[in-house]
Amino acid sequence: MSEREEREIDGSRRSFLKKTLGTCLTVGAATAATGCSDGNVSGGEGWLPEQYNIPGNYPVQVRGRIPIDRGNPSITRDDRKCILCGQCAEVCEKSEAVLFNYELPLKDDIPCIHCGQCTLWCPTAAITERDEKESVLHALENENLHVVVQTAPSTRVGLGEEFGLTIGINVESRQVAALKALGFDSVLDTNFAADLTIMEEANELVKRVVGQIKAPLPQFTSCCPGWVKFCEYFYPDLLENLSSAKSPMQMQGALIKTYYAKERNLDPQKIVSVAIMPCTAKKFEAARHEFNSSAYITGYENIRDVDYVLTTRELARLIKIKNIDFNNLPSASYDPLMSEYSGAGAIFGVTGGVMEAAVRTGYYMLTEQRPPDALFNLTPVRGLQGVKEAVLQIPNVGELRVAVVTGMANSREVLKRVRNGDAPWHFIEFMACYGGCISGGGQPRSALPPSDAVRAARINSLYTADEKSVKRLSHENDEILEMYKIYLGEPGGELAHKLLHTHYIDRSMHLTAKKALA
Amino acid sequence: MSKGVLVDLTKCIGCGSCYVACKLYNENKWSDKAPVNGKAAKLADENWTVVKEYNISRDNCNALRFVKKQCFHCEHPSCASACFTSALRKTEEGVIVYRSNLCVGCRYCMVACPFEIPKFEWGKAFPVVTKCMMCYFRVINNEKPSCVSVCPTQVMQYGDRDELLVEAKLRIDSNSAYIKHIYGENEAGGTNWLYLSDVPFAQLGFKTDISDKPAAAYTSRYMSLTPILGAAWGLVLTGIYFINKYRKKNAAEKQMKANDSEGGNNA
Repeated sequence: MSEREEREIDGSRRSFLKKTLGTCLTVGAATAATGCSDGNVSGGEGWLPEQYNIPGNYPVQVRGRIPIDRGNPSITRDDRKCILCGQCAEVCEKSEAVLFNYELPLKDDIPCIHCGQCTLWCPTAAITERDEKESVLHALENENLHVVVQTAPSTRVGLGEEFGLTIGINVESRQVAALKALGFDSVLDTNFAADLTIMEEANELVKRVVGQIKAPLPQFTSCCPGWVKFCEYFYPDLLENLSSAKSPMQMQGALIKTYYAKERNLDPQKIVSVAIMPCTAKKFEAARHEFNSSAYITGYENIRDVDYVLTTRELARLIKIKNIDFNNLPSASYDPLMSEYSGAGAIFGVTGGVMEAAVRTGYYMLTEQRPPDALFNLTPVRGLQGVKEAVLQIPNVGELRVAVVTGMANSREVLKRVRNGDAPWHFIEFMACYGGCISGGGQPRSALPPSDAVRAARINSLYTADEKSVKRLSHENDEILEMYKIYLGEPGGELAHKLLHTHYIDRSMHLTAKKALA
Repeated sequence: MSKGVLVDLTKCIGCGSCYVACKLYNENKWSDKAPVNGKAAKLADENWTVVKEYNISRDNCNALRFVKKQCFHCEHPSCASACFTSALRKTEEGVIVYRSNLCVGCRYCMVACPFEIPKFEWGKAFPVVTKCMMCYFRVINNEKPSCVSVCPTQVMQYGDRDELLVEAKLRIDSNSAYIKHIYGENEAGGTNWLYLSDVPFAQLGFKTDISDKPAAAYTSRYMSLTPILGAAWGLVLTGIYFINKYRKKNAAEKQMKANDSEGGNNA
């Protein structure tokens, strides 16, 4: 091939490529610039739950979710797991009467009573309790610390479900064994403090009824931190009606670092106080700044009455992490000093239970007689109705009219009557969670949404515990009587007041309550 | 008719349903670097919408406010004006849509946007620009955008922009708590997302120095000459090319002739 021919072939190849590329670019740029090419619009590759996929302006009934402050001490949410099913908003608004029960705009707070019902209703467990088991594990590993744990009345009838046992089964002794296996130095029972709460609360009720203290009637129970915060938000004018007695957990906590430390010869600063609760609001309660009575008594400014609160679910996870064979644990019993309890203390976790326990002891305090058999099976205040009432005849005193409210949505009508001055009752029990603490926001997620069958099984289990108890009256609890004798003095006395009573905070400035509800 | 959304910030409780809906519907990843809520919330390539928290102190008390942020969907979008491949376009529904397969990655849109909305996928090997699409495929199906339909307090109302403006004015006039300004009515020439608030917009991170004239309006008079100038310049250059070619040819011929005549003389 000659030199010239070679050059010609080279040239034509180059010019061919040039022309092709040039044409492509020109045509491409022209179509793009003129908008003739359409391409694909970005986005829309995912999905939304069906309820939201409706044309037009039809309203979506169950929608969105609850707001959760990032600083909420009780509950937290993993956005990645949220599917916007709307269940949390449903239970918060319709069962607990919190969401949408305030006017918008917000003030300086996202109102939350920390009841944790949303954690039970959330189908993907996006909403959970704020997990503190790492901190507890850390404390358990520290040889220098004396870690005391207390267990609420209701955790023993819930925990078994986490290990495949029958719903409602009472696993009290196995729970104690598991806690000891986890390395807690002392396992105490909040039921003890439940009896103590009755001593203080019934004493206060009696004084209100006979007019010894100037406080309005009806008296409200104060053991439910969700209810207490609800009252502080929406009914600040009725805070005087709230019993000044602390909740059992806080009483137990205050005594652990004072009475228990003294009796056991322990340094209060080296005690870590843990509480196992069926409740997420207890995490908030333990963090309330006023709950450091032990600091006030001992002079150690930095100590708290309760350091950590774990829910039943967190305890179950701890047991599973530590590979403890829960179902085959030998039974163990609570450590003495602050663990004895009566049947009255045992039923604290049931709606109506606090009331029943209180009227048994109240009857005794007013008449100095053993209450009649009817008070040991007070059926009018038992069961899952939202509002229950009972009228008791007390010899030489007259009628004692009581009411029991479960689920904050059911409280509105009752509170409206109290506010308007036409409430016939002397004493009203309030529990934020429907069914009481046995279906608290920290209990195992046995069925979704939490069904009445589960609630009834757990409730029966606690009533059985009451029936089986030798002692069924709080004022017959020997450890309590001993403690009053050697440490506290009288129920309602000076030291008892410092350690076992509290005050409440008007939180109404943090929201604008809906007028229609008042 | 432009579709739009009226956002009433006084109704927002900060639940974040809107950004969850956005993530679910657009399959955007959750980012650890760019939070979707809280005080540090920021729009990012994965976050087409965020809810930013503000603690405002006024009249000696604090107020908690939440602001949902996303593309404003301008009536006269600067991003679309700046985009020379028409990857960004305004549809007849008033939605500013983006087509990644037309995008060359020049990022002029990011510079052009007065609200700093378009984001770039810096972390990807083949990055594209991202921003809120106002759920275009839902809108053309007569469905509300995802965030609007999931909001439990109905912070957002979806509809024709003109009607939303009437509604917004009604609300402002009937309630003295509102700031007497509809953000988006005139900003950048008007946007399809309109905001109402009871707290000055400047305190909620809104840009208040934005001109009422769309950015493109400042330059459109002479920028509109660009195609003509381009074509004309091409013609001029072609002309010069042909003139040069002709002159070269002439010069060569002249040279050849001169050589021929010289050779003739020699011969």
